Amino acid sequence: MRRERREQLQTGLMLAPSVLLLAVFVLIPICVVFAYSFALRDPYGAVLPGFTFDNYRDLFQGVYLQIFVNSFYLAGMTTALCLLIGYPVAYFIAFKAGRAAPALLLLLLIPFWINFLIRISAWVVLLGRGGLINQGLLLSGLIDVPVGMLGTVGATLVGMVYAFLPVTVFPIYAALTPIDRRLLEAGADLGAGPAETFFRITLPLSLPGVLAAALFVFVPSMGVFAIPVLLGGGKEIILGNLIVQLFLEFRNIPAGSAVSILLLVLSGFGILLYMRALRRVEAMK
Amino acid sequence: MIPDARGLPRASPHPVSKRMHMSPSTTDPRSAKAVVELKGVVKRFASFTALRQMDLTIREGEFFTMLGASGCGKTTTLRLIAGFELPTEGQILIAGQDVSDVPAHLRPVHTVFQNYALFPHLSVLDNVAFPLKVHRVAKPERMERARAALDLVQMGNFADRRPSQLSGGQQQRVALARALVNEPRVLLLDEPLGALDLKLRKEMQAELKAMQRRLGITFIFVTHDQEEALTMSDRIALMKGGEIIQLDTPSGLYDRPASAYVADFIGETNMVPARILSSDAQGTMVEAMGGQLRVAGSFDQPAGTEVKLAFRPERVGEAVSETDNSVEGRLADIEFIGTDLRMTHHMADGSRIVLRRQNSGLAVPDLGEIRKLSFRPKDLRIFGL
Repeated sequence: MRRERREQLQTGLMLAPSVLLLAVFVLIPICVVFAYSFALRDPYGAVLPGFTFDNYRDLFQGVYLQIFVNSFYLAGMTTALCLLIGYPVAYFIAFKAGRAAPALLLLLLIPFWINFLIRISAWVVLLGRGGLINQGLLLSGLIDVPVGMLGTVGATLVGMVYAFLPVTVFPIYAALTPIDRRLLEAGADLGAGPAETFFRITLPLSLPGVLAAALFVFVPSMGVFAIPVLLGGGKEIILGNLIVQLFLEFRNIPAGSAVSILLLVLSGFGILLYMRALRRVEAMK
Repeated sequence: MIPDARGLPRASPHPVSKRMHMSPSTTDPRSAKAVVELKGVVKRFASFTALRQMDLTIREGEFFTMLGASGCGKTTTLRLIAGFELPTEGQILIAGQDVSDVPAHLRPVHTVFQNYALFPHLSVLDNVAFPLKVHRVAKPERMERARAALDLVQMGNFADRRPSQLSGGQQQRVALARALVNEPRVLLLDEPLGALDLKLRKEMQAELKAMQRRLGITFIFVTHDQEEALTMSDRIALMKGGEIIQLDTPSGLYDRPASAYVADFIGETNMVPARILSSDAQGTMVEAMGGQLRVAGSFDQPAGTEVKLAFRPERVGEAVSETDNSVEGRLADIEFIGTDLRMTHHMADGSRIVLRRQNSGLAVPDLGEIRKLSFRPKDLRIFGL
């Protein structure tokens, strides 16, 4: 009995720092934002105490609904593109790269050591009218006039996919590597060609990694704000930059809080779906 | 046989149930035709030569075993037949067709893997139905045949389990059902019993052998366990260093080893130094263990040649009356192993030999006693140094 208490105390002590950290920097701020989302504001932007559902009710106006649709579309497209590009990359590193695999993984990691904004600004240079891509196309004679790529949804998507590709590759790679190669040999041995072996064995076995990748891309994609501003010219408003605008430009802190809480709920919902799907996949094993 | 796109014979489309209850195969494997042929096959991996010049014919319906220590090339041979590796040189024929460049999934052979390689995301039934599914067998027939194959290996009650919920022996049975369900011409087995405990292994040996007889499918079995090879096989290829050093029936391999290595590898062997005294058509006289012994067969080396004399411990006689072909030795040790007694003797020339006799309950001689040990000429074998 005493020993149990002591063990509990030890566990508690070891957990204390992270609990404290989470409480101060995550839980309390969320509570504050949650409280603000029901508050009033005066014409100058100060938060007034009070209680109203107006901030949430406003979210169901047409303008906001359009922003939700945009966000879902952009996040969905980003996720789909990342998976389509990231899976083959992960597959190559896991199955074909052999001894080059660690080097390739390192190459994927290197951009993480460079500031995110700088990396996105590089794309501004690349995609601009006088940028490398336009110059290359002009030189090759494929086009006569520079193409306006910056400020389009396409440019935003390029930036998003670029930003989230490494987070896609790693979980898929991690799911592919432990797959027993003899299972693939068994597939071939029993008569399945390479494509059939992939779709019946490799892909199902790597599904947990694909799900994790989808979650890692989709959820943060909803809250992105720098990429649509820098590459999309800020024309396409999504949840992330809506929050920034409401807080900083319109100084409407209660409304911004309401959008934040909504984003949080949506993300939580996404994670819940992921956990469920993962449990189902794991149960198959 | 239905030839597929590449002209290879495919496994017959008859439901398992039909074939599985077929009368036992009556064809004598010795007279049956070749089903797998290796012609001058060489396999090199970068700088390492795994197989040198392999010529081998495996007959329809036989239980063929490739036996050898690890690294002897037996698994490489199996992988070449399965199609996981392609030969560097030479030809591989299955059922008369050259398959040297045909990928694994188009070959009419199936493999039982050492670690079973069951698909973890599929149920036991779906694992067994897998080869039928990829061969586009319609669902009702597929399920019926998969269930029949599971029944055959007594795993019918486990159809809905996941492989991870099964014991090693059960997984082994499922792997066997999966490899048999499509009725391959040839079943390849890569040390399939290696991971099982002794008792289960013995059971599975008997079952595998019985199943092979009943189905009449050619089994090519790879093992490093000589006892397993001797009990189950029709013929055994003993391999060493990427070559077959003797291809024979189990009794041939045991009673007529072609070299000192074979004699030493298969079973227990006494090996003592000897010298040729004379040799003619009647037999060979040698000097060994401080006496003179007659050995059956001629040996084409001049008198005085140093050789090795080999004989099995259970072929050493204690009854003097039986033959005068004997030498004397001092009993140095008796080892009791239940059914048998192993008696170590020190011979006049300093060599030690082991005699093995049944624990028949008769009186045991005293240690230190000088005893006459006799040999039938045909039980003695001479090998060059």
